[in-house]
Amino acid sequence: MKRARRALFAFIALVFASGAAAEVTPVAVCAGCHREQSQGQPDSNMAKALSSGADSSILKQHARLTFNAGRFSYEIVRVGGRSLYTVREGEEKLTVPVAWAFGLGSAGQTFLLTLNGKWYESRVSYYKAIDDLDYTLGARGLAPHTLTEALGRETGNPEVAQCFGCHSTNSVQGIVVDFEHMTPGILCESCHGPAAKHVAAIKTGDAKTAELPRLGKLSAEEMFEFCGRCHRTWATIASQGPLGVENVRFQPYRLTNAKCYDAYDQRISCVACHDPHSHGQQPSAFYDSKCARCHSAGANASGNAKAQLCPVSEKDCVSCHMPRYEIPGAHHMFTDHQIRIARAGSPYPN
Amino acid sequence: MLPLISFFAACLLGWSGQSEDILKRAIEAHQSGDIAGAIAGYREFLKLQPGNPEARSNLGAALASQGQYEDAIVEYEKALKIAPGNPGVSLNLALAYYKTGNLGKAAVVFEDLHAKQPGNNQVLLLLADCLLQSGEYQKLIALLTPLNTDAGHDLAIDYLLGSALIRDKQLERGQRLLDKILRNGESPEGHLMMGTAKISVGDYPGAMEDFRRAVELNPKLPSANAWYGQAQMATGDTGAAAKSFLAELQNNPNDYDANLNLGVLARRDQDYDQATRYLNRAQHVRPGDLRARYQMATIELARGKVEDARRSLEGIIQESPNFTEAHVSLATVYYRLKRKQDGDRERALVLKLNAEEQAKQPGAQPAPNGGPEKKIP
Repeated sequence: MKRARRALFAFIALVFASGAAAEVTPVAVCAGCHREQSQGQPDSNMAKALSSGADSSILKQHARLTFNAGRFSYEIVRVGGRSLYTVREGEEKLTVPVAWAFGLGSAGQTFLLTLNGKWYESRVSYYKAIDDLDYTLGARGLAPHTLTEALGRETGNPEVAQCFGCHSTNSVQGIVVDFEHMTPGILCESCHGPAAKHVAAIKTGDAKTAELPRLGKLSAEEMFEFCGRCHRTWATIASQGPLGVENVRFQPYRLTNAKCYDAYDQRISCVACHDPHSHGQQPSAFYDSKCARCHSAGANASGNAKAQLCPVSEKDCVSCHMPRYEIPGAHHMFTDHQIRIARAGSPYPN
Repeated sequence: MLPLISFFAACLLGWSGQSEDILKRAIEAHQSGDIAGAIAGYREFLKLQPGNPEARSNLGAALASQGQYEDAIVEYEKALKIAPGNPGVSLNLALAYYKTGNLGKAAVVFEDLHAKQPGNNQVLLLLADCLLQSGEYQKLIALLTPLNTDAGHDLAIDYLLGSALIRDKQLERGQRLLDKILRNGESPEGHLMMGTAKISVGDYPGAMEDFRRAVELNPKLPSANAWYGQAQMATGDTGAAAKSFLAELQNNPNDYDANLNLGVLARRDQDYDQATRYLNRAQHVRPGDLRARYQMATIELARGKVEDARRSLEGIIQESPNFTEAHVSLATVYYRLKRKQDGDRERALVLKLNAEEQAKQPGAQPAPNGGPEKKIP
């Protein structure tokens, strides 16, 4: 058991490190055996976490987006199958093509630009709620002095590698992005690890020798560490912040702080409610059965769950116990995963 | 290292025969720059006269001049055992400690020398620099404050004392010394002090400008590149920060901040061997340093040595109960060890410490974090 646990953590470390130079195994290949999991994956939120500037559906749908930020003005226009990002100050202007669009677009999209061999995170982002551009989170307080500074925040290679590491598959070797072998979006191998040997072994009828670790067996704590490599672990936020409402979007941190969190109870694990192979958010009634696994008269009361029964309702639990918050400037309501009795007027709990 | 050859040559008068010739030749070789010959000669002599402190000290000086400081230290220590308190040998020993980053040991010897020779400015400044590099700011302030009078205006003392005051968060006193330095015109030291003052109030972009200028004016100014790197790291430019830290190590391989932060960066990049090398060096300069030990513990955890990490983290927390990051990592360790209650306790402690830290922030309200619940229908 101890050895298996070590192997699991080694696997997590391996996936963290990423770095296989082989081609990505297409989802269709995995679908040969794992049909149920593969069927909806290409349309899932995870699979659409990144697109090139040319392929971004948001940018395709918007021939022209504009934004004024003091002495600088911004424009993203669609020209000949790609989008050009321009920042102007008076008569001066700087135009670069949008290289990459990060995010599905359900909340918004931020763009990665290149200029003279350097990467820049766009100073303005697209937000779905306003169907327009606004400051990228964190950029509002900055005061650029030059057009280049106004273009966006210069982003070093390690940070760029982190961005691609969480928004694409098979992209990062150490701190270098391997565009040759990269596939935009989170596909099977992003979580399950390199599958080429596994596929080859299956073809020869020797699946046992190349068995991939079963992520479904991870404990809640292990799963949080696994998903937290991108969605941020409790340890990351607790030691590095941010504290306050800005951390509402880091779900593993929030849920770990919930009273009902139990490190070893899979009923509170990320995948207890979310299927990463399909669409993310479901109607609130969908989650009632998940809550009822602990909070119902017949529930197994093992683990952490003293599991009180709600005196108010047995329906739409999340609408009361997982309130939604807007991060200032994000134009999006985020569900707070710190499950609790949220009393009116009480402060946001860290 | 300070040459003691001429002084000790006089001592030869009392010796005779074969050993005298050997030592004479060794000293001549030393004086003519034939260090290898001198080392061989001193060693040959010491086989015959192992209790001769002068020859042993000369051997130390020769070894030190070859960069063999560890071997030199052995010889100086032996010499001082035979002839305790010799100021020349003590100074050489302290310098060898200083060169090898044994700043704590160097400071002890410099302190002793300073007590015996309070007017020796070289000893005073070396002692002060040891204390500054070791992070012993309060000791340094106590040492230099009596010397810092309006009448006596020594820029080096102003700089060392001002740096210690700013790093010890005594900004008002530090600022007064900084003003004195700035009145002498633009200087790299002035920019370095100004930068550290700005960092202490969280003005990283402002600090960056000062550090950049300090490095521009004097790329070899001790600790300037390391501070520049820290400001770059705080603003997210870790690539530039790494270059600055490496530049600092070119000047001073024993700079604590450069070693610590390069260790942090290497750990982040999962280069654990490299990280361990830097962190060991940081601990060598500041033995028992909690920040370096914490980083080492996180490497143990990342390498799957969970029990080792537990022991290290528990030790750190015993010494520093409010070290939040250590509690964070210890919680992870306990969960991996299936010690749920301990993990839960550590997590609760972290939340409490973070809440206390937030309450200390300027403008903190009783309910500082996000205001009232905004429940969406």
